[in-house]
Amino acid sequence: MSLSRRSRSYLLGLFAILAMSEVPAHGERNQEPFLRMRTAHFYDVTWSTDKVKVNEDVVIEGKFRLFEDWPANLPEPDVAFLGNGTPGPVFVRTESWLNGRPAIQSVPLKIDRDYAFKTVLKGRIPGDHHVHPMVNVEGAGPLMGPGSWVQVAGRASDFELPLTTLDGTKIDNLETWGVSSVVGWHAVWIVIAILWLAWWTRRPLLIPRLVAIDEGREKLLISRSDLMAGAVLIVLTVSVVVIGFMWAENTFPRTIPLQGGRAVVKPLPRSQAPVDVVVERATYDVPGRSMQIRASVTNQGSRPIQFGEFATSGLRFVNRELPAAMATVAPNYPKELVPPAGLRLGDTTPLGPGETRSILFDMTDAAWETERLTSLLNDPDNRVGGLLFCFDDRGERIIANVSGPIVPIFKDLVAHQGMTH
Amino acid sequence: MSSVIQSSGEVRSATAARPRSMVNLKPAIFTMIGITVLMAGYRIYQQIYAWSAGLDSTDPAFETYWMGLLKGELVILVMSWVGLWSWLWVTRDRNLQALKPREEMRRYFNLVLYIMVYAFCVYFTGSFFAEMDASWHQTVVRDTAFTPSHVILFYGTIPLYILFGVGGFLYAMTRLPRFADRISIPYALAVAGPFLILPNLGYNEWGHAFWMMEEFFSAPLHWGFVVLGWSVLALGGLLLQIARHVFEIMGRLEQEAAA
Amino acid sequence: MSAQLQENRDSVTLYGRRWSRENADLSRTFDILVVIIMFIAITAAFHLHFQLTVGDWDFWVDWKDRQYWVTATPILLIAFPAALQYVFWEKFRLPIAATVCMLGLTLGIWITRYSGFHTWSYFPFSMVWPATMIAGGLILDAVLLLTGSALITAIIGGMSFGLLFYPANWPLLAPFRLPMEAMNSLVSVGDYIGYAYTRTSTPEYLRFIERGTLRTFGGHSAVVSAFFSGFVCILVYLLWWYIGMAFARVATLPNRMKSFMGLHDRGAEGKDA
Repeated sequence: MSLSRRSRSYLLGLFAILAMSEVPAHGERNQEPFLRMRTAHFYDVTWSTDKVKVNEDVVIEGKFRLFEDWPANLPEPDVAFLGNGTPGPVFVRTESWLNGRPAIQSVPLKIDRDYAFKTVLKGRIPGDHHVHPMVNVEGAGPLMGPGSWVQVAGRASDFELPLTTLDGTKIDNLETWGVSSVVGWHAVWIVIAILWLAWWTRRPLLIPRLVAIDEGREKLLISRSDLMAGAVLIVLTVSVVVIGFMWAENTFPRTIPLQGGRAVVKPLPRSQAPVDVVVERATYDVPGRSMQIRASVTNQGSRPIQFGEFATSGLRFVNRELPAAMATVAPNYPKELVPPAGLRLGDTTPLGPGETRSILFDMTDAAWETERLTSLLNDPDNRVGGLLFCFDDRGERIIANVSGPIVPIFKDLVAHQGMTH
Repeated sequence: MSSVIQSSGEVRSATAARPRSMVNLKPAIFTMIGITVLMAGYRIYQQIYAWSAGLDSTDPAFETYWMGLLKGELVILVMSWVGLWSWLWVTRDRNLQALKPREEMRRYFNLVLYIMVYAFCVYFTGSFFAEMDASWHQTVVRDTAFTPSHVILFYGTIPLYILFGVGGFLYAMTRLPRFADRISIPYALAVAGPFLILPNLGYNEWGHAFWMMEEFFSAPLHWGFVVLGWSVLALGGLLLQIARHVFEIMGRLEQEAAA
Repeated sequence: MSAQLQENRDSVTLYGRRWSRENADLSRTFDILVVIIMFIAITAAFHLHFQLTVGDWDFWVDWKDRQYWVTATPILLIAFPAALQYVFWEKFRLPIAATVCMLGLTLGIWITRYSGFHTWSYFPFSMVWPATMIAGGLILDAVLLLTGSALITAIIGGMSFGLLFYPANWPLLAPFRLPMEAMNSLVSVGDYIGYAYTRTSTPEYLRFIERGTLRTFGGHSAVVSAFFSGFVCILVYLLWWYIGMAFARVATLPNRMKSFMGLHDRGAEGKDA
């Protein structure tokens, strides 16, 4: 279809202009905080590059955990699909893997388990695109991970997706495959329909015919040649259908139905040395844009641990005083998702094996507002959730779930008092 | 063809020019050209601002380009309702009994043209922007009820067809004796059904807020629109009604000519 | 009246009745305007009905399965043709309603596939091409013309309507059902197109497609679906024929606002529709 190529070129120019004005997100910010804090927590997410040409690949890898404190109003992830949060098909997804298994089909996933994903996207429509990893859960909708900008350069009309089928058919470009035959068959039927309508509409149509029936002269309305035309139409229609069907059977003798099976993917193994976190009190200081969580943390492992990061809704509050934690932040990780103040602790002493201690976690940043996570105060289910990344003295990471009710504090003074209790 | 239509006059007399005086196509054609320009403008606006300012409803640009458009079009369309409908009401014919057949015929053709403009607007809602809505919502993550598709489909094109749907109904009621005498049920259905699509949005948004997180266009949530859309079939009844009225006036025209 | 007009050179005979030139011209103008209105209105309402009942199967190449697409599409499609055939055949003896419906729908769909799915949302036509539905409409009109009977049209036309849908579309669809390998998995070309071009809010599992059969005795899923569809089409046709009849009823109610409008009763109230 030359028309579609032209329109793509037109779109390319338009999009290139539009891409100059960056959009900070695409829709995830207005998703309710419970959806973002207590469903899929993405971590270790990397983007192989932030700039590709049309037809070049960008690889997004990482992991996600389906949160233990899954919202009661959402269906469990019995049917899920590894998607990608892009503005539609501006990229073409050529591969996606979930724990090393192909993710071309939907899969059942388990709550409180971790999955590693890898998605390969091929640049298609030029522009600056925000690219998120994403999991779609049936009934819960799209659950988005952190987003990073990837620029696609070049011309949309240069995009091609060639492949060879199992019967040896070489498809030069999937974009245009089969389209000319679709258009051709539609044209055949449209022409026949127009001829049939022209046969009837060339004569006086409405009032004279209505009156003729009212006055009992309906026999004059259908002539012998009309009946003949009807018979010809039936024969023609059935013949065209039969000929078309036989042509398709001969041209494509080996076809298969749509593949609708479900895949099976085992989750990643559980951590052997869990850390147990029980939230005692969590508050959000509205004017101060500060979340504080006092929690009783138990180290059930055999080595002392320190706390490196609190991650929720794509935001990473990283403890800047812990090198092992800072080392996990890749240089090209989106800056706006790593608040500068990071995670601050009321007590920085490592937590010994078997020890239980009450610790204050402080996450203060305007990101709570810009990401609209504070709108959780409007939710009927006011609970905060996130992942706490702990590091032992060998630098090994243990991931703990943190969830509990949260109380808003509307004045600085009260907030301060609240946390001293 | 020739067996059913026999011409007894080879030369058309001056009377052949008369129908033109009874059928004034210009206002309808200009209105439809205007509507086409408006719809093309909407479509271009979507192409430009949907991707650049319509993906994140918390973005200030969204407020400017989409909520701004929403407010603007609602104000203008509601004002146009008030304007056209009150004009039709105020200028109504209070002496319908004295209506001459030629004038009545002229008004019937005006009514048909009103209905044509109405149908033309309904096309942009029922067909053009409605399926565009699928292409948008199945492609992006919906984060507001006022998406770049809804701002135009629901709040731009529906109020516009309501303008002409109710307008035509009022035209008939205020200028045509038989529509003034008795309310046409098929016409009322053909106007009220599509009108109710607007309040039916409440059901749609309720469902999308509490029930359906993914875009499945064939979902029962959308069937309210379908059932209300069926009321367009009542145009068949209206066609029969108008056709019989017009035929009756034709008889009077012939009597007049004979006299 | 006609006796007087017979004397007039400026008259025509239409279907056994004499019409003045003026009235014949007015009638033809009326024809043209109404045909345009009906075409636009049918396109709008039928397309709305279609897209919100079986649209998803028609939007995407990876939804066009052997079970639901083949079964549901004709069943939902036959509604408007049946309703409008009542009006156009019973009142005007015009066997064109089903064809008008299908032609209008086809044009409406192509316009939005191009403007929406392709130009706005970047999907290639290989993914979003529409099914062809005109063959069924032509058969309905031709059967009604030849038999003049709604019942026979329902039985023969309705069954044909269901049966013809899949074979009429097979030449369009077959290229997309070639087998291929992707990530060590067998998929059809259509599956892969659906996978490759992301629908962010309509993921794979939302596809309402044949996920497997219990028994199809040789794997003829599409044949079973088409036959069942044809059966339901017979019933739906009859139902909608009567719905068309109900909508075409010219019913009126007294205008209670008449005195408020400043009009006087004509005395004929209640008698003329």
